[in-house]
Amino acid sequence: MVTAVPREGTVFDIGYQRYTGVREGRNRARLSVVKDGVRTSLGLGRGAWAKVLPWLFIVVLVMIAFIWALVIGAAERMGGPGTAAEIGIPSHSDYYGVASIIIFVFAAVVAPELLCPDRRDGVISLYLVRPLTSLDYVFARWIAFFLVMVAVAWLPQFIMLIGLCMGDAAPVQYLRQHWLDIPRFLAAGVAMSAYTTTLGLLTAAFTTRRAYASVFLVGLFAITTPFTTGMAMEIGGTAGRWISMFNLSNIPVHVNDVIFGQPSSVTRAAPAAEFSAWVLVGWYLLWIIVPAGILSLRYRRLTP
Amino acid sequence: MTVNGAEPVITVDRVSRWFGSVVAVSDVTFDIAPGITGMLGPNGAGKTTLLRMMTGLADVSSGTVTVCGQPVRRNPPLYRRMGVMSEHETVYGFLKGRDFVKMMGRLRGVEDLDAAVDRAIGFVDLADASKRAMRTYSRGMRQRMRLAATLVHDPEILILDEPLNGADPRQRVHFQSLLEKLAAEGRTIVLSSHILEEVEQVADTVLLIVNGKLAASGDFRAIRVALDERPYHVLVVSDSPRELAAAVVKLDSVEAVNVDPDGRIVVLSRNVRDLQVELPRIAKAASISLRRVEPLDDSLESVFGYLVERQR
Amino acid sequence: MSSVFFLTLRQLSGRWRLIIMTALGGMPVLIAVTMLQSSSAPSVQEFESYVLSAMLAGAILPLIVLAIATAAFANEIEDKTLANLTLAPIPRWQIVLPKLLASICIAAPFMVASAFGTSFVAFSGDWQAALAVTAAALVGVTLYSSAFTWLGLETTRAMGYGLLYIVLWEGFFARYIAGVRFFSIRYYSIGLMRGFDARRFVTTDDLSFLFAIVASIVVLVGFILLSIRRLRHMDVP
Repeated sequence: MVTAVPREGTVFDIGYQRYTGVREGRNRARLSVVKDGVRTSLGLGRGAWAKVLPWLFIVVLVMIAFIWALVIGAAERMGGPGTAAEIGIPSHSDYYGVASIIIFVFAAVVAPELLCPDRRDGVISLYLVRPLTSLDYVFARWIAFFLVMVAVAWLPQFIMLIGLCMGDAAPVQYLRQHWLDIPRFLAAGVAMSAYTTTLGLLTAAFTTRRAYASVFLVGLFAITTPFTTGMAMEIGGTAGRWISMFNLSNIPVHVNDVIFGQPSSVTRAAPAAEFSAWVLVGWYLLWIIVPAGILSLRYRRLTP
Repeated sequence: MTVNGAEPVITVDRVSRWFGSVVAVSDVTFDIAPGITGMLGPNGAGKTTLLRMMTGLADVSSGTVTVCGQPVRRNPPLYRRMGVMSEHETVYGFLKGRDFVKMMGRLRGVEDLDAAVDRAIGFVDLADASKRAMRTYSRGMRQRMRLAATLVHDPEILILDEPLNGADPRQRVHFQSLLEKLAAEGRTIVLSSHILEEVEQVADTVLLIVNGKLAASGDFRAIRVALDERPYHVLVVSDSPRELAAAVVKLDSVEAVNVDPDGRIVVLSRNVRDLQVELPRIAKAASISLRRVEPLDDSLESVFGYLVERQR
Repeated sequence: MSSVFFLTLRQLSGRWRLIIMTALGGMPVLIAVTMLQSSSAPSVQEFESYVLSAMLAGAILPLIVLAIATAAFANEIEDKTLANLTLAPIPRWQIVLPKLLASICIAAPFMVASAFGTSFVAFSGDWQAALAVTAAALVGVTLYSSAFTWLGLETTRAMGYGLLYIVLWEGFFARYIAGVRFFSIRYYSIGLMRGFDARRFVTTDDLSFLFAIVASIVVLVGFILLSIRRLRHMDVP
């Protein structure tokens, strides 16, 4: 009979210590992913070049609002109060319609940064071995990008508001007369942000290459606009109105119109604008809920 | 200037490379002659940056790199004489292995391409797998096929960055004999690796890179001799360790003697030659049997370890 | 050169990509057919404005070429396989030109077919007009390909900057600042289209046929030279 020789082992004390601090749980992990998502979106904590693109878009959006406010101020001064509205210079209610394509491109360029590199480089596994489910991860990314989009949507509107107030001979009076614009553009900004966040992340969930996600999303917005406009005009009637509803760049702008109670300069001529507010809002919600559901399903299947 | 009697093929002269405020390679100078040169260093030492500058893939911030007397940067015709295998393991997944090697051969103007491809694939023992798309290969197979692509045009200079990543022991042995055969034909081979035993076995010359600087170069035993501030460690196993230790510690050539609980002695000496002569004499005079006498740092690993620590 | 060309063709012609390009290329044709079926036939200006300028030249063509041409080098840089080509003993232009040509060969058939089909249908079989639109589309593909191939070499965020150019510069600013058209590939293509068939397409601004030709040559040659220079000087990953 052969007896096993007992093996010996020695553990050397090289200063290893167990962590004795507070162990924060799932919420802390979620918050970390949110913070990281915000920083990634804005290029914070990275080199200078990572900041150029997102901030360039933000500067362009702010400049548009700023110049807009200047033009309105000049018109009011030269022609008297109400001149800007008379000659049809757009205001808060039109901003999201006019700037929508730039907001969409921002989402198309930045949203894939939150999801594609993690899957491409295999880093997603490192997240999922933490107290974090795949749904926690994608929801945290959604929140992160939503917060960024809200800031991007609201900032130019506030700049415009400040410009219009200060451009008016009686700023306080102006604010009293137009105070309702504030909750309206805030709400419209939230609607625009939720829409672009959901579609941006959904596209990014289907490819590991950021470039393809970006171009697909921009293509969706840029191509459906002339396509549906042309088809809707030619076909006309109810069918034409429903075709117009598939103009993806107008969906959140219709909600903006419902909030402001008037069609914007961009959607005024769109056949879909003839639908009731319930239909427009319901359609918008469908385009949030269904893509969000697909996004969740897509990530639900991920395991570390 | 010759290196070990041979004209240098690759000359790196006062080369530095920095990325912003980070200095990756700092004022490095060396020559590489035909034969196998191993480049070693810890992670982040600057080996890959140095190899990329030697192959012209990256520019130098200062200094010059010449290959066969010509600047390597922006000199595509030189690549006809060079075979380079970078550290990145990605391949064109959609290509079959054979098609990949063939394409590399065609780009390098190989005549009798099919024969060259067969030879290169034969070197790496992947003839059967070469008809499959490379996305179906294991990591080791991808590395080997990349090596075949590096050898297809029969280059006289080979620069290989971590070529054995993912290779199993049998493949490593096969690769070593392949390298030795190529070096025997007069080729110049530069090999970067973390696997010290293999570099020790194949490399004639070693370049030790630590923190972006050249810490040592040459034959590793000669490097060891040059490290005179560190005493040699010699293990001695005998039947009377304490008595032997008491006698050995009196020698001028011995700095210290450690006796471990198992009765093994480790002698620290700066003059191993004297110790070689005195130790048997002492043992004989004291009627002590020596069972084992072994230098503990006559290995590349210990030299490497010491130099890395010294640079930190 | 043929090795690089065929390699790039394989890299850029994925199944899904081809399906999406076919679908997108078919959209303007569908609109043209629909416009023709309607009781009021569109005027040349309406057709030019909605379908050719906004949809084909403004969106579909540049976006497709952006996706294809930037990928020619950007994907190799991202995957770290570019060294396989740059370590070959061939001049850099023998890497750049085949890549550019392959990008054009992938995108052009779809865009050319789309442009020809759309205009042939919309102009009721007018060959000259259809060929004018097709030639302009081909030039557009070539110019965008040269620009975006360079962009893919120059930056890892080629897609973002490319979209900025297409959507912001050509799409947004060109609408409000007339001078932007003189620095816009889209308007060079439109200028060429008008020049190829002046009886059908009337030039309404200062962007003449001659200017469009000269500018196109400058853009093409310029970006090819920039790409070659970039490949010579860049650190290859």
